[in-house]
Amino acid sequence: METSRDDVGIAIRSAFLKRENKQRFSIFVLIIVSVLLVFFENIKAKPVDNFRSFVKDVIYQGSSMVSYPSKFFNNVKKEIKKHNNVYQSNENLKKENKELKQSSSKISFLELENAQLRKLLDEQVESTSNLFSARVLLDKQSPYLNSFVINSGSNKKIKNGMAVLDGNNFVGRIVDVNYFTARVLLISDLNSKIPVVLEPGGQHAILYGRGKSKPTLEYLPENVKISDGDKVYTSGKEGIFSPGIPIGAVKIKDKTIFTVSLFSELDQITFVNINLGDFNQSK
Amino acid sequence: MAILLKTFRLKILELIPLILLFYISLNGNSVIHVKFFSINVHYILIYFWVLRQPAALGYGFIFLSGIISDVIYGTPLGSTALALLVVSSVAIYVRAVTVRINLINDWISFIPALLFANFIYYVALYFSNYPIDYLYLFTNSIFTFIFYPLLWSIFSILLKFMKE
Repeated sequence: METSRDDVGIAIRSAFLKRENKQRFSIFVLIIVSVLLVFFENIKAKPVDNFRSFVKDVIYQGSSMVSYPSKFFNNVKKEIKKHNNVYQSNENLKKENKELKQSSSKISFLELENAQLRKLLDEQVESTSNLFSARVLLDKQSPYLNSFVINSGSNKKIKNGMAVLDGNNFVGRIVDVNYFTARVLLISDLNSKIPVVLEPGGQHAILYGRGKSKPTLEYLPENVKISDGDKVYTSGKEGIFSPGIPIGAVKIKDKTIFTVSLFSELDQITFVNINLGDFNQSK
Repeated sequence: MAILLKTFRLKILELIPLILLFYISLNGNSVIHVKFFSINVHYILIYFWVLRQPAALGYGFIFLSGIISDVIYGTPLGSTALALLVVSSVAIYVRAVTVRINLINDWISFIPALLFANFIYYVALYFSNYPIDYLYLFTNSIFTFIFYPLLWSIFSILLKFMKE
């Protein structure tokens, strides 16, 4: 019995503490370094942040280079798929075009009416949007984070919390800024909670990311009347984002769960717009 | 000339596990998602090579590939590196206490490696305030375990070439 316990002790010592042939580091030392790194991740200090930012920038660039072959094959696959869908999409576009033509006259009337009402209220409307375009550098499907990396960072005055748009549609916010790169947390991520407003009802809610499932609306008023297709916009509450940025349309599931179909396909984004406006003005 | 060519071929073969390790880290393929399941290739790769041919993967490289995966996936720096080192530790221990190496032994001893590594990984994520999808953790562990023999066979063929 004593001997077998000794054997286990020797095996553990040799596994953790001894540096084997052709190994430069002991595994025990590396485990300690990893634990320290995890602790350092929660420390916010300028030199630590700069070091982290440098490491991340270097790895993102390396990863971007290594990903070229797989990106190329993915693009080829997408192109082939697109060509196969051309006929179907042409039919859909014709149908959509017909519908848009019908609704355009209605829109111009509403615009006119809106302008007249604004004049009546004597409202000064100023656009605060200050968009900056960036390219998606890395879009790796992480098991725990729905995010991607863009090719601009603090060198382009990007800051944490800025709204990220795909065209005009809201897709996420900046969560990690390095010097040349930044990470965008997508609206579908479990960490994402966005204050929104619904149209035409005007109800306020919080849009919760649900990972792979569609985002859902939470904190709605009791007995709220919402119908399929109601539009969801950022509310601008608490001054986090500009109000009125389109996000998606409501889709009711089981009468009690209000999911939101996003206007943008999150896995098809190549370029994004970052709303620099309010942040730079406040500085 | 023939000796030189043979040495070169051998060197390339010896480097394949290392190249694969860095490729999957940099390309973000450490965890492969296929519709309903996901497999952690990183764990299998490291467990196999540390167990069967420790000289092929240095611990420093394993640590570095973990750091790269953390940056690519946006997880706290050091968490994946820690999990990979735990997998390596279990592999080293198993190698020290096992005499006969075969698929069944490797496969069964992979269970504690998976359990320890995932436990450490999720503790690291929990303390860094990262949301944890427990169902995902469960399915990922199960499918990583199920797919171990497949990758074991592929790596064994490669190892055979290296030894020849």
